[in-house]
Order: sequence, then structure tokens, then C-alpha cells
Amino acid sequence: MGLSNELSIPSPASGRMLLADADAGTIVLPRTGAAERTAVQSGIVTTTFGKLIQWGRYSSLWPALFGLACCAIEMMSSTASRYDMSRFGAEVFRASPRQADLMIVAGRVSQKMAPVLRHIYDQMPEPKWVISMGACASSGGMFNNYAIVQGVDKVVPVDIYIPGCPPRPEGLIDAVMKLQKKIAGELPGTLLG
Amino acid sequence: MTALPPPGTPTADLDPLSEQYEASRERLGIERGLDSIDLVEIGDSTMELNMGPMHPSTHGVLRLVLNLDGEVVRECRPDIGYLHTGFEKDFERHTYQQCIPYTDRMDYLAPLFNNLGFALAVERLLGIEVPPRGQYLRVIMCELCRVASHLLWYGTGGLDLGATSAFMYAWRDREKLLDINELVSGVRMHTSFIRVGGLMADVPDEFYALVGEVIKTFPKLIDEHELLITRNPIFRQRTIGLGTLNAADAMAYGATGPVLRGSGVPYDLRKAAPYSSYDHFDFDVPVGRTGDVYDRYLVRMQEMRESLKIIEQAFANLPDGPVNTSDRRVALPPRNELNTSMESLIHHFKLVTEGMRVPAGQVYQAVESPRGELGFYLVSDGSTRPYRCKVRAPSFSNLSALPYMVRGELIADVVAVIGSIDITLGDVDR
Amino acid sequence: MSGARAADLLERELPAAVRRRETGFGEETVWVGREDLVAACTLLRDHPDAAYTTPILVTAVDWPDREPEQPRFDVVYMLRSLEYNDTCRLIVQVTEDDPNVPSLELVFAGMDWHERECYDLLGINFTGHHDLKRILLPTDWDGHPLRKDYASFGEPIAFTHNLEWALPAQERPRDMPGASR
Repeated sequence: MGLSNELSIPSPASGRMLLADADAGTIVLPRTGAAERTAVQSGIVTTTFGKLIQWGRYSSLWPALFGLACCAIEMMSSTASRYDMSRFGAEVFRASPRQADLMIVAGRVSQKMAPVLRHIYDQMPEPKWVISMGACASSGGMFNNYAIVQGVDKVVPVDIYIPGCPPRPEGLIDAVMKLQKKIAGELPGTLLG
Repeated sequence: MTALPPPGTPTADLDPLSEQYEASRERLGIERGLDSIDLVEIGDSTMELNMGPMHPSTHGVLRLVLNLDGEVVRECRPDIGYLHTGFEKDFERHTYQQCIPYTDRMDYLAPLFNNLGFALAVERLLGIEVPPRGQYLRVIMCELCRVASHLLWYGTGGLDLGATSAFMYAWRDREKLLDINELVSGVRMHTSFIRVGGLMADVPDEFYALVGEVIKTFPKLIDEHELLITRNPIFRQRTIGLGTLNAADAMAYGATGPVLRGSGVPYDLRKAAPYSSYDHFDFDVPVGRTGDVYDRYLVRMQEMRESLKIIEQAFANLPDGPVNTSDRRVALPPRNELNTSMESLIHHFKLVTEGMRVPAGQVYQAVESPRGELGFYLVSDGSTRPYRCKVRAPSFSNLSALPYMVRGELIADVVAVIGSIDITLGDVDR
Repeated sequence: MSGARAADLLERELPAAVRRRETGFGEETVWVGREDLVAACTLLRDHPDAAYTTPILVTAVDWPDREPEQPRFDVVYMLRSLEYNDTCRLIVQVTEDDPNVPSLELVFAGMDWHERECYDLLGINFTGHHDLKRILLPTDWDGHPLRKDYASFGEPIAFTHNLEWALPAQERPRDMPGASR
């Protein structure tokens, strides 16, 4: 605690760092856990194989339908005729979380919905990623009140945050592309470990 | 559904543990033991199935608990509140102009109607009148919003029943309307374009070209949409005779909008209680006959055409002049005055930070949104913030008729009925 | 004058029910007594001169500073007559210690959900309702948010003087002041 005159956000106790991305304003968090643990296990042969696996994973992300409110409409717009997200492999929006690997939390999460959100996240098989779309999902947005969870990262770990109310469909597509870059940079720990 | 028992019957003052209480509940059609919405019973002949809140076809976070006998729905209990945002509490904490962006996010498929309803309610309390150009532009933007909302209903409704092309066609056209929103206000959805006292600003020059384009091309595009679906035998088989709601029950449930008009009641607030110059325009109100899903579909498709008629008339007769009221209690001073007059600067500062002072009183203002009667019951205590703003959401009342509409239908038809009511969960839960 | 038809009818047929009648901003409001509410609404629904068949809303307005001179809650009912194209407003006043109002669910089918919402957000108890449960908030929620003494709290915005609010909840210092929900 204590007063601080710095304007930067300090790195929290766990050692994670928040990297602000220069373009488009999305924020990327490095993934902790399984990937880091098995990093030491992969050598040179498996690195190429790993790259292939990751290419397969990011090129066909299957989002789970988790449109909650207004951002869901922009999410639908991004899959529709003009901003076609299926160009990036994310065409098939699965209704069942058991067949999905990307959860785009699009919209405000109310207190009643938060346990359901966690339940659906738990039902998704590994590897899975979460994009928090919009201001309400990222931080509670304009609703600083009793009813809305102030940021979906209180409930699930988030990989990409998209600002906007609602973000443009291009913003969502940019986030998916950034996630693809992030997946390419990760190691397929869950395959080897 | 049998007629409701007369008032003054046993439940009125009864002890819930007494026998007469159970008997009265039976008269309402509630069977014993079906109280707990969290149980999933698999009995000998019936099963309780949970549908939602994460479901591709519930149009949002709606949870239905269905009591099924095979595939036939015997009882349906909606569990709402998964999108409750506490708007009404937020209204009490913000000044009147600050409330406008909040109103956008309630019925997020038709945001301009929320803006309009709230702005009209405040303007009634203030006793100010928006200039004719502002009123006509409000009408044009609102009717464009209505077409956009109905297109979205059409696309998602078609998608629910398997017509994936309908979704793509609808969005192709909706994007053109969102382009107009973006031109005029900078935002695709949630424009906050209609504010207390008028509009955000006057429209730029490219507006006329874009709206002219819409007026010319949309009637044919809507014909294209109808071509895909209206005579399609699969669609007709799935929707005719389904989810019937007769006029008396529609009124008893408080259903309004296309749900009420589909049941044969020709009531439209734009005709019955015109606001914002709607009485200057000549348009018809489509009405259904039987109140089934198909009738509501036809009503909405025709409403899109009527909206285009209204836009055409308003556009052709668009008057010149200011778009905002000149009443200094509400309107910000013109910018050139801010450079020279100290009072204007102070006035501007107070209007923006403190907000406008609205006389004490209560008023109810309803507008005809694409979903029905969207009403704002506004209570002011004379200060700069609303004391209580209750939003009468059309989807809330329309959805309360759902258990009645799906009783006896197949579970696959529940999806079609929900689509035909056209709910927006932001509206239902607020 | 919107609602004049209803007010006149009530004064003619049920004069004991009408406590007060007021006009403002083009609308007429009638204050009725709690005991007469069901009878008044049934009359408004069934009488051929009125035909207020559609319920619009049920809500309450909380005036906590009015007690003890006047009751705290104004329970507001609005009905619409499609035939005569009119809306009317009825207000029932109840106190904080006795927030009970008879349920109108047997008069209008749509009142069921409206009353549940009013109970959920404001704590008005509708006696005779078959199942007065919370509808918008989780069933185990404490308190009634739209009451004026309910502090609606999300989270403070993190500035440089309260930087610990920028941390995730698990990593905030244990001895931090303020409610950390």
C-alpha cells in the first residue's frame, strides 16, 4: 500500500505483467500454468511439431456462443456478411461448450450470470482461451453498481481484452488475430504434458 | 386457458398453508410440487428440462424450465434476471442528460426508442417543445431503427428455424442502416442521438444521399427477404397455428406491439397517442388474425414497409431550422457566445456539470418500439436527477405470455415461439 | 386529460375508495385505499364505460423522508384501456412497517410478473400472490436495491491514491479499507 506518484500499474504479487499493445488498444496477457511448466520438456524436434500443432489450434478456433448483451450483436455482425470472421477460421460457433475452445464473453455479466459463466468455462476442454469483449466484460463498463460483476476476469482468466461499447466488429476480428499470434507463440504444453 | 376466477376469491387473504390456498392455485393451473425451479425431476411420465441461460436460440440469457411429457411441453417457467443491470438505480444517480447513454443499452436492438421515450418524458415535465426539424429527424432515425430491429429479428428468427441465408441477407441490409447511424453520431449502435431538448447535432450532408438510397432500395430488399421465407412450405408448416394468443389474453398479459397486433387488436401508439409529429404521416397499421407465429411474422414484415413509407414522407417534407430547443434551461448556449459572454460560460458549465433542473411531478410517456409499448414513468422531485424512473419494458410483458403460448406445443416449437415474440433480454431484465 | 375517465368512474361507483385525485402534466392520478384496490381494478376492467383491460406497470416510489407523517411507499399501478384509448394511474400508499398490498394477479394475468419485480426491487409484499419470489435478482439476494437506503456499489475507480483497487481481488492487501466485493 502507501501512496505512489507513479502512473504505471505495478506488477502484482504473482509476477504477471500487463502489456499494453500499441495498436488497437487491446491488452495481451501471457498465459501462466501448464504451458510454462512443460516449456523445459520440449526440445528442437518437438518445437517444429509444436509449431504445427499451434497452427492447427489457432487457425480453427471454435468460439462458444456466449453473447450476453449488446456486444453479442456486434459479435453477430462480425460473423455476418460484411465482416466475415470465418475467414480467420472462427466460423463455427458451437452451442455446446464441450466442443468449443474459445469463449468470447460478449456483454455485461450480472451477478446471477457469473456462476453460470464459470460453469460453462469449466465445461470447456483444454486448451481454451477467453476473450473479454467490450467494456462491461473487461471492467464492468459504465455499470458501476450492485448488479454487474466488475470485470469478467474476476470469474475466469482472460487472454485478450477488447475495449469499446460495443467494440466494432473489426475490433473483435483484431482481437482474434492477436489471440492467434499469442497461440502461435505458446508452446503446446498440454499435448506433451 | 380458462377464465380467471373472480377477485375476492380465497387466495386474496389466505394463509398459504391452508387447503383453500392450494385449491385456488389449482384454479390458476399451477400443479402441486412444481415450485422449485432448480429441481430437475425425471419422473415416470414427465421430465423437467432446463433450457438456457446459455442457449443458441433463446435470444439472449433466458432460462426456461420446461416440464415435458415426451416432446410435448406441459409447463414452461421462464427464469429471467440473468442480465439484470440495475438501470433504474443508475438513473437515480445521474443527471438527465447523463441518463441518455444508459437508456441506449436497455433495449439494445432498438436503442433510439429508449432515448426517445426518456427524452419525451423529461420534455413533458419541462414543458418544452422540440422544433419541427428535430421532430422529423427523430422520426426518420427511429423508423430506420425500427427497420434495423425488425431485420435483426428476421435474421435471428430465420436462423433459429434453420434458414441461415436469412441471417446473412438481413445483416447485409442492417449494415447499411448502421452506416447511417455511424455517419450521424459516430457510433454504429448506442448512438445516444436523441437527447433531452432535441438531438445530438444536425445531420451532415451525406445523410441525405444515404437515406435516399435506403428509401429507393429497401422495399425491393424486403421483397427479397419475403421471397426467401414467406411462402416456404417448411416455414409455414412450422409456424402456422403455433403459439396462438387470442386478443383477450394478450390484453390481460399486457402484451403490446406486434404480439398484440398479431392477435387482431389494431392498437399502435403512433396512431393512438401520437408523439413527435407522427400524426403528420400517413401509414397503416398491419394487424394479424389468429395470433399465431406466422401472423406475427407477417405483421413485422409489413411494419418494415410501413416504416419505409414514413421515412419517405418525413424525408420529403423535412423542414429547415434548428434541431434543438432554444429553451435556455435545457439547451447549451451556442458556441460563439461562449467566447464573449461570461454568463453563457457559467451557464454552460452548470448545465453540463449539475444538469438541468426539472420541475417536480410525475409523468408517463410511452413510445411504440419495435417490441411494443416502451414506457417511462418518471418521477421528479425538482432536482437535477430523476427521483425514480421506472421503465415499462415491452419484452417483459410479452414474455410473461410465453408459458401460456407454449403449453401443449412440441419442444422444438418453443424456439419458434420465442423468436416470434422478439424479446430483448436487456429490455426484460433491465 | 388522461385518466379522467377512470377517476370519474371510481368517484361515481366506488366513492369510498377514492382518497385523493390530482392532475398534473396532462395526467390524472387517483389515490385509492389498500382495501379497495382489488374492487377498484375489477371495476375498471369490467365496466363497459372504462374497459381498462391492459396492465401497464406496477412499481413503487420510495420517499423515506416522508415518514412518519405520510407513508413511505407510493405503490403505483397503471392500466390502459385500448377501447377508449386511455391510461389511468392508481396509487396506494403503504408504510415501511406494513408494506402489504393485495395482489392483483387474479384480476390481470400480467400483474403476476410485475408484482414479483416490485417485490424484488422494492420489498412491497403482495398478499395473495401464488408465488412471490424474486424475479430479477438471485433468490438468495439480501435487500431491495431500489430502496433509497440501499447503497449501489460496484467498485471504486482506481486512481494513484487508491492503486490497490487495480489489483485482482485475491492480491489486494488484507487490511484494505472499503468493501471489496
